[in-house]
Amino acid sequence: MVLTLMINGDPVPYHGDPRRSLLEVLRDDLHLTGAKDVCGEGFCGACIVQIDGVPKVSCLLPVGRLAGAEITTIEGVSNSETLTAVQKAFLEYDVVQCGMCFPGMVLSMTHFMAENPSPTRAELKSAMTGNICRCTGYERIIDALLSLGSNGLGPVEEVRP
Amino acid sequence: MTLPYPPNTAVMNLPRRDAKDKLLGRTRYTVDESSHGMLHAAARRSETASGRIVKIDVTPALSMPGVKAIATREDAPGLHGIGIADHPLFAKDVVRYHGEPLAVVAATTLAQARAAAAAILVEIDPIAPILTMAEALAKDAPLIHPDWASYEILREGAARGGNIAWEATVVRGDTDAAFARDDVILVEGTYRVGRQSHVPFEPRAVVAAYEDGRFHIHTSTQVPWTVRHVTAKILGVPEAAVHVTVPAVGGGFGLKFDCSLEPFAAILARKTGRKVSLVNSRREEQMTCLSRENADILIRSAVTPEGDIVGREATVLMDCGAYGGEQVFLTTMTAHTLGGNYRLGSVKIASQAVYTNTPPNGAFRACNGVYNTFALECHTDEICKAIGMDPVAFRRRNVVGDGDIGATGQVFEGDVLGPMLDLAIDTYGPHERAKKGPDGRLYGRATTVGTWFIFVGPSSATVNLNVDGSATLVTSGVEIGSGTMVQSLPQIVAANLGIHPDAVIVKTADTDASGRDLGVGGGRTTVSIGAASQEACAEVRSKLLAVASQMLQTPQDDLVLAQGRVEIRDRPGSGTTIQTVIAQAELEHGPISGSGAFTAPGIPAMPGCAAGHFIDAIDIPVFAVHDCDVAVDPDTGKVEVLAYRVIQDVGRALNPRAIHGQIQGGVTQGIGYALHEEITINAEGAFDQTGFSSYRIPTALDTLPIDYHLYEGAPSCGPLGTKGAGEVPILNVGATIACAVANAIGTPVNALPLTAPRVLGLIDGLSSGVDLAHLSRHWHENTIAFSE
Repeated sequence: MVLTLMINGDPVPYHGDPRRSLLEVLRDDLHLTGAKDVCGEGFCGACIVQIDGVPKVSCLLPVGRLAGAEITTIEGVSNSETLTAVQKAFLEYDVVQCGMCFPGMVLSMTHFMAENPSPTRAELKSAMTGNICRCTGYERIIDALLSLGSNGLGPVEEVRP
Repeated sequence: MTLPYPPNTAVMNLPRRDAKDKLLGRTRYTVDESSHGMLHAAARRSETASGRIVKIDVTPALSMPGVKAIATREDAPGLHGIGIADHPLFAKDVVRYHGEPLAVVAATTLAQARAAAAAILVEIDPIAPILTMAEALAKDAPLIHPDWASYEILREGAARGGNIAWEATVVRGDTDAAFARDDVILVEGTYRVGRQSHVPFEPRAVVAAYEDGRFHIHTSTQVPWTVRHVTAKILGVPEAAVHVTVPAVGGGFGLKFDCSLEPFAAILARKTGRKVSLVNSRREEQMTCLSRENADILIRSAVTPEGDIVGREATVLMDCGAYGGEQVFLTTMTAHTLGGNYRLGSVKIASQAVYTNTPPNGAFRACNGVYNTFALECHTDEICKAIGMDPVAFRRRNVVGDGDIGATGQVFEGDVLGPMLDLAIDTYGPHERAKKGPDGRLYGRATTVGTWFIFVGPSSATVNLNVDGSATLVTSGVEIGSGTMVQSLPQIVAANLGIHPDAVIVKTADTDASGRDLGVGGGRTTVSIGAASQEACAEVRSKLLAVASQMLQTPQDDLVLAQGRVEIRDRPGSGTTIQTVIAQAELEHGPISGSGAFTAPGIPAMPGCAAGHFIDAIDIPVFAVHDCDVAVDPDTGKVEVLAYRVIQDVGRALNPRAIHGQIQGGVTQGIGYALHEEITINAEGAFDQTGFSSYRIPTALDTLPIDYHLYEGAPSCGPLGTKGAGEVPILNVGATIACAVANAIGTPVNALPLTAPRVLGLIDGLSSGVDLAHLSRHWHENTIAFSE
């Protein structure tokens, strides 16, 4: 099967089995290793990418269903000069530890904050259940996101593809 | 040692330099390594827990598409281990656990490797597996290692025998006399805990190459020098033929404190002449996790009506699984955890690693301290109930203080736990009676104490001062996520050299470049590598100041290093930049560098007290006081943690914000252990929990903001008086939640995790309890060393 994937704004031709997961294609074929292969069953959120702006677990997405969709991976969200507001908050609050969950965390929480610009702590915690982290115990990540909520969320728009 | 700079210059909330790339998805962990021509490997593992190998035929697999090499038991005949060499790389004649490696295949693609691994013909004659310690210790139980007596002993002094891989004992004073006193109350407690899986997001993974007659192993490990040593031992090559490098590690928590997949990949790299990647699938990672071990614990105490513990006897059975592994070492820790916290008039402790036909266990953050603290603190509350004494008052009366002796007779220095307990009660208020709330839930609180240690031992460091005024720190440290390599170490070096931490380049582990090191774990990195780094800096300072002294015509003692300059004391702007001094030094002597080393100072124990221990006394004790409130729903058994508070002995907090991150994360892992992380072993000897959907680690909804206080000033030989702060936050979480639940429901708790059904069983009085019929109440009968 031949199809064209739109990845981070670039057309990428794909020849192969349409049942392969997007995660496998990103990591093994395209060497975009920001999305992490952690649980393989859609639980942990470490492989999250945005499909047409909506966070999805790429380990469960057959690549054959993605023709025409805008796929944004962590590599396409920003560059080191223009971190998103969520990335900046995570940096400023020193919340990163081993780092494996953060690409997915950034992509899902960026979307959540754009949809819910002034969330409560409880809303943030509910939203974060799809992103499991083994190191941090979450609460400092929530603190970082709450700092954005009260300050408004202007810069987050720029991450939308 | 007096410092040449104010210690506070090393204290700051330095941000992590690795955070940005981690947030951008650019960090390349071992699992992200890929290159053209790299082969992928897959393992064939036993699906039988116990059996005799009849046949392993790789012929059909070898001719499958893409297959380049297959390695089996013939390729690695040696045995390795800790304390005893009992562990082959591949199952040899017998299989001892479900998941034991039988062969590994290297192929062009991972799918080809997996297909070929599945095609290997394996025939095993099953033998009834021994799945519990009770079965392993039964009279006439078959031996899991019939040849145990012939194994190479790597450390002398322990009693061993039958299915007991290792025994460590402590005998101090006369417990028989204490228990026979007519004024004492005897309190007995039995406890059982299950296993806990680390679930690092990066599984164990390695990329190996064989180049110029040497192995290059690029791996996700906490212990590069152990990987070097064990790989060489298994392959029968000189250690110098193994080169280990470590990129960012995606979580370890102790799981990666041992050699694991590296020798398999090394063998395949040599066979193929190609780079070989071997990564555990999540299922393999879970099912062969070197978990925190399950344990059975019996404690008996003789206590006076006034609250003195005049005698204590304890036996702790630690399930090591099919091979001794870390549990052999960890038998040591029972003396210092279960035997810790309190002054004991007399004490006998037996701590045994017991073989079963289950996956081997390993080290997990605060290792056996977590469950021994659980058992000890539950037992302490039961003592208080028996003698009618307030639990906080009892603890305040009995915690070890300055000049008190520990279980093995070591003399503790400084009053630490006592003032920490006082601070807890002053800050959080006295305990109220447990009560039923208007919502029908049962409310309870508990305050516990815990003793852990810093695993000191050899570290080395080199500091090169560069012409641009930056410094390069070369050690075998690894960044596993805790931040030590990017925060405390550059902070220490910068303070020593009067430069900004951003000007300290930190090289991570490369055994061809850095000196030997025990590894990153046991809370030791800031202490041991930090101390070695500080010593290396001292040499750099002295060389730098000798040249500056000439240039500035000022005695060295009157020179200070600050903000990248050498200044005459109290005369800012009087000196010159360090770049100028370095340039002058190059003209006179050459580039400036220094080296430093550190090892355990070796605090003595009382001679004759301890047998079979790797550490008779702890060089740097670390204390913790935890306090929590819980609510228990009597209809469902669900436990909610309402508030959680930590007072942690840190010596000196170099980066308070980073320590907060460790406390928040460590307590959350402890909440998982206390309430819902459970591994069950089925009749096949396999874990029922094979992934994230069945093994439930905490989500954001399972934790809460942890209140914390960093207690500073306790004695420590660490640099600037530091103690490791990352390991200990998990220590008494299981204990504190269990004691609070026991107070809430009015029934003793004797097992973890406190899943809702287990709590409901306790409330309804349906729980059968933990009888531990396989343990004798006559302590000596549980031992090898003291049984007749």
